[in-house]
Amino acid sequence: VQVALKIWRFDPESGERALKRYEVEAPEWACLLDVLDIVKDEVDGTLAFRKSCRMMICGSCGMRMDGRAILACKEPMKPIVDAGHEPVISAMGNMPVLKDLVVDMSPFWSKIRAMKPWVDTGYEELPEKESIVSQERMNPIHKEALCIMCGCCVSECNSMESDPEFFGPAALAKGFRFVGDPRDRATIERLEAYNVEHGIWDCTRCYFCNERCPKGVDPRDAIAKLGAESVRHGIDRDMGAKHAKWFVHSAKTTGWLRETELVPKTQGVISAVKEAKFALSLAKRGKVPPPFPPHVARDVGEARRLYELVKQQGRDGAAGIVQGEKALSRLEHGNENED
Amino acid sequence: MRVAYYKGCLASLSAKELDVATKALAPKLGLELDELESVTCCGAGDIHEAEPDYYLHLNARILAYAERTGADTLMTICNVCTLNLRQADLELKHDEALRERVNANLAEVGVPRYTGGVDVKHFLWLVAEGEGYERLKECAHKGLKGLRIAPFYGCQILRPSKLLGFEDPDRPWSLEAIIEACGGEAVDYPAKVKCCGFPIIQAREEVALGELIQPIEQALDAGADAMVTPCPLCHLSLDAWQQKLEAQTGRSFRLPIFHLSQLIGVAAGLEESELRFKRHVVSMQPVLEKLESV
Repeated sequence: VQVALKIWRFDPESGERALKRYEVEAPEWACLLDVLDIVKDEVDGTLAFRKSCRMMICGSCGMRMDGRAILACKEPMKPIVDAGHEPVISAMGNMPVLKDLVVDMSPFWSKIRAMKPWVDTGYEELPEKESIVSQERMNPIHKEALCIMCGCCVSECNSMESDPEFFGPAALAKGFRFVGDPRDRATIERLEAYNVEHGIWDCTRCYFCNERCPKGVDPRDAIAKLGAESVRHGIDRDMGAKHAKWFVHSAKTTGWLRETELVPKTQGVISAVKEAKFALSLAKRGKVPPPFPPHVARDVGEARRLYELVKQQGRDGAAGIVQGEKALSRLEHGNENED
Repeated sequence: MRVAYYKGCLASLSAKELDVATKALAPKLGLELDELESVTCCGAGDIHEAEPDYYLHLNARILAYAERTGADTLMTICNVCTLNLRQADLELKHDEALRERVNANLAEVGVPRYTGGVDVKHFLWLVAEGEGYERLKECAHKGLKGLRIAPFYGCQILRPSKLLGFEDPDRPWSLEAIIEACGGEAVDYPAKVKCCGFPIIQAREEVALGELIQPIEQALDAGADAMVTPCPLCHLSLDAWQQKLEAQTGRSFRLPIFHLSQLIGVAAGLEESELRFKRHVVSMQPVLEKLESV
């Protein structure tokens, strides 16, 4: 088939950036990576992009097609050609462009390294017998273990656009892969290290990472699991954790969010006082509902008793996050009746 | 069409105008609202993150009470409620063991059984197509003539699309369809599908403001008279926190922000008492005057 596409080229020597159009003949089965190979072989040998395995395992060929982060080896071109569309290919976001479609992933790797991405067994000398872990105990980190570190999630992370030092979805998903590993003995140290300024509570829940991940890791879910584990272990000094806990307290006391008290409960009274002028501007418009008398939901006793029941059943922390994982994998594979 | 109506926290509190406008508008769009009373907060992303199992039970309870109304649709007016309820619904629907445990707990405290009998749909989806859209065209025809409106979707009505799935999360069309059906012109800009920063606006204000400025700045650059959003959380951040962006940048934005129900309400001729623009922080006067003058 005849494939046409446009590529954002960047020449680091001249600093020149240009959108160039290419048209090549490609086999029907060609994916975007195949087409880029043909362009490089036949049209312009200076085109730069990363690649290796060609089968969605190595995570090298992350880039953007029409503004969405994708793996070039995962995108078949025929449907695009059939639709008469000419896609625009560009480098991933949130990372500096080195040349054409190649980005500098060193900040990405340093964040991954900061997660200490290895199992900390807690012993120095190897025991005589190997330690065997059941599949069942590894299942809770199955999704996070699928990460190929391609950077597609980081490319679109809205929080990272605003705070480049945010650990980001890939590193935090890696973090949960070890926090949730039954063999790891460094859970508390890890959670402490993620409950800092640029850590888990920086996540703005935009869900771009889940949307883009080509492997179904769902990094946002991993971040929620880290939050749940932090709260479970009492690591809750961060304003993000306090904010989250106030919602729980609201639900079991009045049923509805106790909105006006949320600011002092999250930021502390001093900060809330400093914000008095801002609060007043909102109050004038009826946007600061008076906390008294509280707005209580009908039958809120049911919600209170549900809380007690749930706490007795002990599915605290990440164990309580079901988040459609099983459901979605079944839907994706169309085998709803299995297992 | 009769629907169970879950208004959520903000529309009961700081964004009361959204609830008022939605109730006033519903009959014109052929929607009969059966408001849920015995319900709580859906937990936002917060209970989900702090006490996930409790999140699931609170949402199961809301779904169970929605089923009891006999309607087959549970209508939401908030992005976050929509995602939370749909997520819980899908998980419960497909995991029998989980469903049984949750139902046993619901029964223990006297809540009706969850059977998966309602579809959770945002108000936006009910108006953007089908009968709702036909009624919209009749009642709001040309009501926004001369206005340039920037649609702002927010996150949790688009992503994750596996759980929401109404439209392409990167090329959504529903708000544009509604703006145009009301005779307005939809302004296009890249940040319309991005985050407003609201979930972290208290814990990480600076990071949140770095997100919030993008839609405001881009919409104004694209020549928008006003913005519309289907989410009261986005609304609060876009409307109330806009002054903080102004203080931070030393610039004047003053971009009026409509709730979706208010925008359609204006086009359909609702009164101020039903729209409550006085509850907004950024004045709606300039855009309403422009509409008058056209």
